[in-house]
Amino acid sequence: MNWKDIRTLYLRELRSALRERGIVVYSIIIPVVLYPLLMWLVYTAFSYANGQAAELKSHVMVRTIPDAHQALRRALQEDRAIDVDFSETPQDDIEKGNLDLIIDFVQVQDAPTLAEGNFGIRLTYDASRDESATARARVKRVIDRYRDRFIEREAEKLGISRSQLQGFRVDEINVSSNNEMGRFVLGLLLPVMLVIMLAMGAVYPAIDTTAGERENGTWETMMTSATSRKNILIAKYLYVTTMSFVAGCLNVMAMMFTMRSNLALLGGPSGLSFHVPLVSIPIIVAGAALLALFIAAGMLILASFARTFKEGQSLVSPFMIAFVLPLLFIQSPSQEFTTKVALIPVVNVAMMFRQAISGYFDWKPMAITVAMEILFVTLALKIATSLVEREDFMMDSSGGAFLRFVRRFARSESKGGGTVAG
Amino acid sequence: MQAEPSGSAPVVVCNLTKTFLDESRGVIRAVDGISFECRESEVFGLLGANGAGKTTTLRMLSTIIAPTSGTARILGHDIVRDPAGVRRSMGFYSASTALYPRLTARETIEFFARINQYPENKVQERVDALIVRFGMTEYAGVRVEKLSTGMKQKVSIARTIAHNPLTVIFDEPTVGLDVLNAIEVQNAIQELRSDGRTIIFSTHIMSEAEKLCDRIAIVHRGRILACDTLAGLRDATGLHYLEDIFLLYVRGPA
Repeated sequence: MNWKDIRTLYLRELRSALRERGIVVYSIIIPVVLYPLLMWLVYTAFSYANGQAAELKSHVMVRTIPDAHQALRRALQEDRAIDVDFSETPQDDIEKGNLDLIIDFVQVQDAPTLAEGNFGIRLTYDASRDESATARARVKRVIDRYRDRFIEREAEKLGISRSQLQGFRVDEINVSSNNEMGRFVLGLLLPVMLVIMLAMGAVYPAIDTTAGERENGTWETMMTSATSRKNILIAKYLYVTTMSFVAGCLNVMAMMFTMRSNLALLGGPSGLSFHVPLVSIPIIVAGAALLALFIAAGMLILASFARTFKEGQSLVSPFMIAFVLPLLFIQSPSQEFTTKVALIPVVNVAMMFRQAISGYFDWKPMAITVAMEILFVTLALKIATSLVEREDFMMDSSGGAFLRFVRRFARSESKGGGTVAG
Repeated sequence: MQAEPSGSAPVVVCNLTKTFLDESRGVIRAVDGISFECRESEVFGLLGANGAGKTTTLRMLSTIIAPTSGTARILGHDIVRDPAGVRRSMGFYSASTALYPRLTARETIEFFARINQYPENKVQERVDALIVRFGMTEYAGVRVEKLSTGMKQKVSIARTIAHNPLTVIFDEPTVGLDVLNAIEVQNAIQELRSDGRTIIFSTHIMSEAEKLCDRIAIVHRGRILACDTLAGLRDATGLHYLEDIFLLYVRGPA
């Protein structure tokens, strides 16, 4: 390997890339501007839709209510999001969507009647309708408040504590801070975006530097230069890795900015805080670099079979899909970063990102992840190196067809190796 | 009819053979034991129809592909054992070797000088000299994609000799060019010969071979059928026109 040659070749690749509109758009503009902008638009639309829904009133009917609990009716009437209506045929109206919910007070059978006016409440609603489900949530909130006050009042009358009267109560305390909640949300969103962007950033440069060179006729020009094919390959590889890494990192920074400036607003008064711990940044950067190395190797190998840019796109697209699909696997918040998960490429790095963002570090799966990625990168580079040593590959005798190459390769190897061309 | 190489010339080719395995046609012998040598300050022509084996021969000499058997030496560097040395000692130009469209003319020459191991401290001087020599001063800073075909030809020849090689291979350099641009390329080849370089030139155009080549090898089906100066070929066949001489060797006597 001659690092002076590799540097010359690498700088030539970068210089050409930064002058190509397609590469600048796909690897820089889109990650930095378009996706954060889209995200901002989606969340703006989402919050607008939420705001619109919040203004819609829930139509509720109080069918039966004892005199002792008339205060509940008043509480419902005072709620600006609830309209207390009346219907002759409430059940039909719920099904037709004219009414969202019916409240019935029911006598509690076999219940200790410690408290005066001890009743149960039955809510009838249609869970398949958004409006009805929203009405249930709103009514339940009012009822819970009313019930708490009622129990406290009755306990006071009886001269006992609230817990003595209630017997079994559930209190909820969310111990996570806004910062932790913010990291949880980031942990779900950012790894996926980072992986997609690393792949997006590599696609165009990988095709341009291989199939693009064949199409332009510069491939053969390079083959006659006084540097080894290995140097050419390494320079191209480092170039695609750089573009992938830059696209991924720029996108993450732009997304963080978007989320901090827009999504935090959705959190309302207890707004989420989107801060990544400083100690996590080197892990995220190292993970992104490893993944960029892996993506670049895979895409370079596939794209280099193509003769034209279009062929390159059709060869790389399945790899891109295969690369992004496993990310569905980590969409579940309950998915844990185990040693088994650390063996799955792409998913392991995405999980490592998630863990790093959460600020919690389980070093064993992280170490396995790094080892696995290095293994895959080494394997991919071995394949790429042996490909560029093959004359039939370099001279494109497979006519841009990956499977034809594999067939011919198998045939030539079964005949004792050597090169084939046509 | 093959000229046996003596071994001291800048380019010595011995029994060079290349076979390919084709899916439908089986083993194809594209080059079949070719031998020749090229002397200093000489334009050596490979004249043959399409598919005769000219390009395959030149690709082996430029180490793009490896020979199945036989060997060749360029300025003492063996094409099999020392391909990097071969590439440092020669320039390769063909109709299919294109330029990077997004580099400027100057950047292109600079890049090829560096990658072909021209001494780093002399690169700028060499680039400036080539820009002046080929009259590219006005568009040296313009990207190749914006240049006319004629300008691109000049940049292409300049990048071929950016590292000052003593041997230059021209593989059908005028294919697809109009008359004016073809003449520019021919003039450049003649200039390179007067610089003392050894030129290997392949063509299927008889007039080009007549005009440029000091010696001509007639190539057909991977073999050299005849190799001599134009005058020598005329004497040997009794025919005047190269086209007639070529047909005589390829088809045999009428």
